[in-house]
Amino acid sequence: MILKTLTLAGLGLALTTGLALAQDADSPGPAYYAALEGKTVGFVPISMGFDLTQGWLAGMQRQADELGYKIVVRDPNWSVESGIQAIQSLIEEAPDLLVIQNNDNRSYNRLVQQALAAGIPTIQVQQRVATPSDAYVGPDWYDIGRRTAGALVSACGAGTSGKIAVVEGATASPASMLMLAGINDLVAKSAGITIVSSQAADWDASKAFAITSTVLLQNPDLCGIAGFWDVADTGTAGAIREAGLEGKVVLATSGGGNREAGCDRVASGEFSVYHSYNVAGQARDLNAAIKMLLQADIEAGSAPFALISPLLQITQANMTPSSCWTLDELAKMGG
Amino acid sequence: MSAGRGRVAQEQIILGIAVVVFVLFSVVVPDFLSGSNVISMVQNVSVLGILGIGMAITILGRGIDLSMVASMSVAVAWMLVQLNAGAPLSQALPLAILFSVAVGMINGILVAYVEIPAIFATLAMGVAVYGFGKFYLVETDVNYLPEAWQWLADIATARPLGIPVSVIAFGVCALLAHLGLRYLRDGRFIYAMGDNPVAARTTGVPVRVLIVLQYVVSALIALLAGLLMAMLVASMNTRIVSSTLVYDVILVVVLGGISLSGGRGGIGSVVVGTLLIGIMLNGMTMLNLTYTAQNVIKALILLLALILDTLINPRDEQTAQQGDI
Amino acid sequence: MASDFLTRWRYRLVPDKIVGEILSKNWIDSAIPFLFLFAAVAVFGTLIDNMFTAGSVSGLSRTIGEYLLIGLGLTIVIMAGGIDLSIGSVFALANLMMLALGGVMGWPVGLAALAVLATGGLIGLVNGVLVGFLRLRAFLTTLVMLIIVRAVVDTLLLAYTSQISSTEIITPVWDFLAFETVLGMSASFWAAIVLAVLAHIFLTRLRPGWHILAVGGSRRAAHNAGINVCRTICLTYVASSMLAAAAGIFYAARLASLGNDTGLGLEITILTAVVLGGTSLGGGRGSMFKTVLGVIIVVIITNSLIRLGLRSGASSLVLGTILLIAVAIDVRWVKNRAKLLARSYVSPTYFALPPLQLVSRDPASPYAINDLLSVAEPIGVGQVDGPEDVILDADCNLYCGSRDGDIIRFFAPDHRQSEVYVHIGGQTLGLAFDRDGSLLVCVGGMGLYKVTTDRQVIKLSDETNRSWLSIVDDSRMRLADDLDIAPDGRVFFSEATIRYETHDLIIDALEGRGNGRIICYDPRDGSSRTVLPGLQFPNGICMVPDGASFLFAETWACRISRYYYDGPRKGRVESVIPDLPGYPDNINLASDGNFWCGIIGMRAPAFDLAQKMPGFRRRMVMQIARDEWLYPNMNTGGVVKFSLDGTIVQSLWDGIGERHPQVTSMREHKGYLYLGGIFNNRIGRYKIPGADPDWTATRAYWGAAR
Repeated sequence: MILKTLTLAGLGLALTTGLALAQDADSPGPAYYAALEGKTVGFVPISMGFDLTQGWLAGMQRQADELGYKIVVRDPNWSVESGIQAIQSLIEEAPDLLVIQNNDNRSYNRLVQQALAAGIPTIQVQQRVATPSDAYVGPDWYDIGRRTAGALVSACGAGTSGKIAVVEGATASPASMLMLAGINDLVAKSAGITIVSSQAADWDASKAFAITSTVLLQNPDLCGIAGFWDVADTGTAGAIREAGLEGKVVLATSGGGNREAGCDRVASGEFSVYHSYNVAGQARDLNAAIKMLLQADIEAGSAPFALISPLLQITQANMTPSSCWTLDELAKMGG
Repeated sequence: MSAGRGRVAQEQIILGIAVVVFVLFSVVVPDFLSGSNVISMVQNVSVLGILGIGMAITILGRGIDLSMVASMSVAVAWMLVQLNAGAPLSQALPLAILFSVAVGMINGILVAYVEIPAIFATLAMGVAVYGFGKFYLVETDVNYLPEAWQWLADIATARPLGIPVSVIAFGVCALLAHLGLRYLRDGRFIYAMGDNPVAARTTGVPVRVLIVLQYVVSALIALLAGLLMAMLVASMNTRIVSSTLVYDVILVVVLGGISLSGGRGGIGSVVVGTLLIGIMLNGMTMLNLTYTAQNVIKALILLLALILDTLINPRDEQTAQQGDI
Repeated sequence: MASDFLTRWRYRLVPDKIVGEILSKNWIDSAIPFLFLFAAVAVFGTLIDNMFTAGSVSGLSRTIGEYLLIGLGLTIVIMAGGIDLSIGSVFALANLMMLALGGVMGWPVGLAALAVLATGGLIGLVNGVLVGFLRLRAFLTTLVMLIIVRAVVDTLLLAYTSQISSTEIITPVWDFLAFETVLGMSASFWAAIVLAVLAHIFLTRLRPGWHILAVGGSRRAAHNAGINVCRTICLTYVASSMLAAAAGIFYAARLASLGNDTGLGLEITILTAVVLGGTSLGGGRGSMFKTVLGVIIVVIITNSLIRLGLRSGASSLVLGTILLIAVAIDVRWVKNRAKLLARSYVSPTYFALPPLQLVSRDPASPYAINDLLSVAEPIGVGQVDGPEDVILDADCNLYCGSRDGDIIRFFAPDHRQSEVYVHIGGQTLGLAFDRDGSLLVCVGGMGLYKVTTDRQVIKLSDETNRSWLSIVDDSRMRLADDLDIAPDGRVFFSEATIRYETHDLIIDALEGRGNGRIICYDPRDGSSRTVLPGLQFPNGICMVPDGASFLFAETWACRISRYYYDGPRKGRVESVIPDLPGYPDNINLASDGNFWCGIIGMRAPAFDLAQKMPGFRRRMVMQIARDEWLYPNMNTGGVVKFSLDGTIVQSLWDGIGERHPQVTSMREHKGYLYLGGIFNNRIGRYKIPGADPDWTATRAYWGAAR
């Protein structure tokens, strides 16, 4: 998996270099602006209204305003069926580029095929379907799982119970499955660490609260909890605080690096270790991919590449004011 | 008020099942009987229970309130948005209360005056209220409690006398609702109305006003549950609207023997139903069952309860109410 | 007068009555969703470019097809008085199973689809047994089933996602379902439309379909009527689940999606569509056509809202509001339709009566009032209720109808003893003896019947040809009134009005329009045809013994006319008496070659004036209670004898109004006149001074042969 993404990333790099060479060396020239101005980019997230999608859109919108192309947002509001209709209608309208955030690795598969067949270059964000499209922008979920587990393994070494609990996302979600696989693989290799509970909270804070409070009762000597998403893990943290175990249980989680969801919680000690796939950076990657694809005169889907989001580990020790982002900042100078 | 044979019977069945499940888990699961776990059992379902009390009041009056979750999440999220924008609690909370009252009143007017069946009026209101909230009041799904108001979260997670605040809130709510329904005139009228709305109206009960009142009360109880929920996890996620929470609330209510056709049952039924769900969820979590497996078992036990109730109190073709689904 | 002229033409040219008649149609229930659909198409078609292009519609047809399949099932369940919330979960399970069986297990598509449908049926059966036979509450039971099936789906997803993800079904059939279109629409759309038509036929034309509606309309009544309520209910759930599973198969073909929110909340969407269409929760009212409309509306609205690209929440807000408005309109409509209909159905028009003749005790008046009928001896007081028509057979037995739906026979010679001759089932309004002695009867609300001499009741006619432009169904008979038989055996009978039922017949008078007709029943081929339409409450019919014409009375028009059904003047209508001072009823032969005619009420100047003021009558109907309306007088009348040239020969009255204040029918028989009255409790027998004591109408008409 990692190997494959690396190859893809390499390919992307090669493509970028090739494109750069094709351009005038010093100034972008009128061709660059002409290639972008007046174009239309369709964006179909899972839903608007949460930190990741708001962040991406803010970043993308800023560049679009600057370069004079248009972003058309269709908001399916968490419904796959609505998302399908949104993408279908966009394919009908034939924008110059599609940016799609997948719910899972299957639902939009046929639509990606249709979009490519219609000659619309397509970028997939965060999760991808089996059909490779022009670009993938998103984290390596397996790696996040491994690093989350790694943080717990190092915190729960000798002298502790070595017990950790996993508060998963949605069981059927590929992102959640990959993270779980990463955690399990690493824990299997680490002596003295046992997973005492592994349950799905369906990305929901209240459910995470309920699961965690029960697990803590069962295992008062729990050493660490692996969370899957900062938003849901506000519930996990709440349960730890409610059990009076603040500071005694290590909570490692991950997310998009929004200040309220991430750094504020790290600062308050609710999250011990936080891995950010940095939505600000992702927005920049998206913008790069958009610029490249709008300029490149190639058949849609003929040269797929991936831009894997680098992970930032944030702890109280290494946190700086710039570790996280806010929506205002992104809208003003992101992407 | 009808204190029919059926109510007692079903409440007892559920109580019986709850006891059996409890004993079963005590044997199977280590530490199940520890004091802290028994408290946790109730704690995890106390928000559900509070919502159940609001729902029970509407169902007793032959209504139903499917908009509770939407109105609670939007009102609380709006309050958090205001707090985040720097507004004082003395402004944010009254506005949230006002919002809930407004939603309840519209529900009540739609049911009482426009005469839309409650199930539809509140279903559509739930969708509309969520949409209104997302469009005008709350931009993002998840809204966090600001640092400055962290003490609110501390209140919610406090444990006076070792009992969590949420459990106390559930208990107080249940007691107040019980006393209100039993001893207040309007409470008795709600039973009368649920039993036979036409007869109640003929005998001079202000049925329409009472319907509006019961939806306002349920919206306010929902707000209380929402505040508690938000304080426990220091945030409110408006996506909760699309979860199956409202179904769980209905199940808690009817499980204990409150008839969907109104007028039968009491707050005791809600408490018993909530306890059964609490025991089951807790025990199954301790057994490390997956969430989906828990759902299957929970649903099967509910089905069993329904079947048992029907076997003990069979419905008669001659007395079944038309349109009573 | 000029204003009368204008009013007359205003009411002749503008067909006001169609408003009320359209409102009285059952399909009008679908008008509201239809208008909704029209509005949605208009609004979103303008707001969104290429909303209704071929490609876009074809894309929509896939969603519509799937939703419609589920909607049909839910409609059936709701019509039977239940609800099925488990459809969304069944849909998800079917999708998953189809992909697993067809993909991972490699089953042929047909076999896999059958297995999926069977699974759906099985889940439905569980629902059905629990709700139908064990009588659990539908709402809760299917809610629990929703949770169970959803949990099963989640569990299976957890276990098999990766396996299923890696396989694809590739067969021509599957690709056809997934990608191809027929006439621009998807396979699922056509499947759903065909099923909708079949289901419509099933529900409206077949016995089991009626059972479903009967159970939904009134479970108790259906049970008491012997319908197997439990089985009927059970089967509706099986149908619903199987249809949801079928939709799941199409969905699997379309998207091959393994999303864990497949079908989540679908039950709400479908429920919205079904209710938007106008099918009522609680059962007994609804149709497939409505659900088709509802589904199309919901899909267009949701799709348009997505395309408009509004912020999160906007679509929920709009959808919720539309649902509220739709249900509110539906509720108010169902509640007030009858009221609205009752008021707007009455459609007065202009009608000018000839000048009113003076009726007084002055012997110079042809209609001079006297007290002759007050000495008529009573027959069967208290034994009959509303003998509208009376008749005597050759043996002098007296027959009359009654309001209870019987024909009663009083035995000759003194008519003291009586028996129920036959029970017909409706109020008999006209009686006549056929050549062979069998009794032909006009029954209000039923039609033309024949009672043979051995007391067998045979239906001769209860429908005639449907007129093309009539909105109300005028092929069925609402108010067959009086009849007579031509020498060749053809039966001419009047139908007083095609717009009102018997109990509302007086309201017909307020319209002043020719709503009635005369129908000819031909025994040679059993056919019935309307021969004279547009008559104002045609009532009495009496053959002129010339073998070519008959007289008929138009009650509200206060006139008697002659119609030629044969001979050189065939088809012509001639006026006999154009200006009666009262409302004529039955006409019968008199022994001296003249005709008797019953008068049921006298004209009054106020009502005559009102007939010239349709606007006034309309305001009256719309604004004041029914009991306060101005009606024609229906409680003072008598009998007149007239000659064929229209001269009034004699008039008989009960001036005191004690025994026969009004007369609907009279028969001369062996020197006596027998009197019937539709509101009377007796039959009167009046000795006619100087009449032929041997003459009977039957013998005079059919000849001495009998």
